[in-house]
Amino acid sequence: MEAQRQVLKAVNGRRSFAEELCGLSRKAIERWLNVNRLEPTGEVARILLQISSKLFFLSSKSQEQVTEEYRLLSREVQALKNELEEAMVALLKRAHGN
Amino acid sequence: MHIYAFGSLCRGEVSFGSDVDVLAITEGFDSRFDPDAFSIYSYKRICDLWKDGNPFAWHLATEAKLIFASNGINFLAELGAPSQYTRCAEDCLKFARLYEHAIEALKKEECSAVFELSNVFLAVRNFATCFSLGTSKVANFSRHSARRLGVRSLNLSENAYRLLERSRILSTRGAGQMLERSEVDACFDEICKIGFWINKLLREITADGRVQQQNGGPAPGAEGSERTTLIR
Repeated sequence: MEAQRQVLKAVNGRRSFAEELCGLSRKAIERWLNVNRLEPTGEVARILLQISSKLFFLSSKSQEQVTEEYRLLSREVQALKNELEEAMVALLKRAHGN
Repeated sequence: MHIYAFGSLCRGEVSFGSDVDVLAITEGFDSRFDPDAFSIYSYKRICDLWKDGNPFAWHLATEAKLIFASNGINFLAELGAPSQYTRCAEDCLKFARLYEHAIEALKKEECSAVFELSNVFLAVRNFATCFSLGTSKVANFSRHSARRLGVRSLNLSENAYRLLERSRILSTRGAGQMLERSEVDACFDEICKIGFWINKLLREITADGRVQQQNGGPAPGAEGSERTTLIR
């Protein structure tokens, strides 16, 4: 849950969009892209959908299944969150014509 | 391979926009099933949930309806009743903390309000379901379980409850009307008071009024605890 919170903060924290991203389900991401007229095949969309898929996998595991695979995926989500922050900066720069 | 329907459809709780919960039990990875459309479990995982007496096992045992069985046998029915549910206090405490963290986040300026309100709905619903499973003969797996606990039901205005439900649907299905800031502000104080209800029920499920964590520490807000952030 905290990982989702951090990813959403990376998107919503800047208050730069008409509508906030409500969650990391595929449908919530698709709605956010559509309402804010963002490229569905762009970098931000790609990263968000990848995070969504990895978090879905993590959430389907029970707490006792904290395996190496789980730890690896957690690290991948963290790396994707960093990638997302960079992609958000680039997206907003383009949007503001800088 | 086995396919079952479960959830609101099987309870007759159908409303416009209701999703359809379908469980697929497979041997390992099966690319035919879209994880966005199916809850996909292996046979081993289902057996483990049954053995643990997990609430999801009780949920399926109570309401799942067989749609297809590749071997012609109703696998879940053959498993019989899951083991006794013994983690009521532990699970309720987990959902109390989920609620608590969502409220803490909502008080911060930079929060994702819809997501946090969605977490409140999830926490309240699952708390009530685990409470009913652990304390009564008839467990309530309804989406609205918090309002179906008889005298212990959550007392929340229709506006506040619908706001939480809308948030959950926006967050999971990406559907519905976006919340207005004024709507959230109007219900916020009431949503914070859900903590009273949670604490009251938490006290009921422990003999001495305190829920012991796995490490032996007291519950948030319990007497002697340094953390008193659950709304009292």
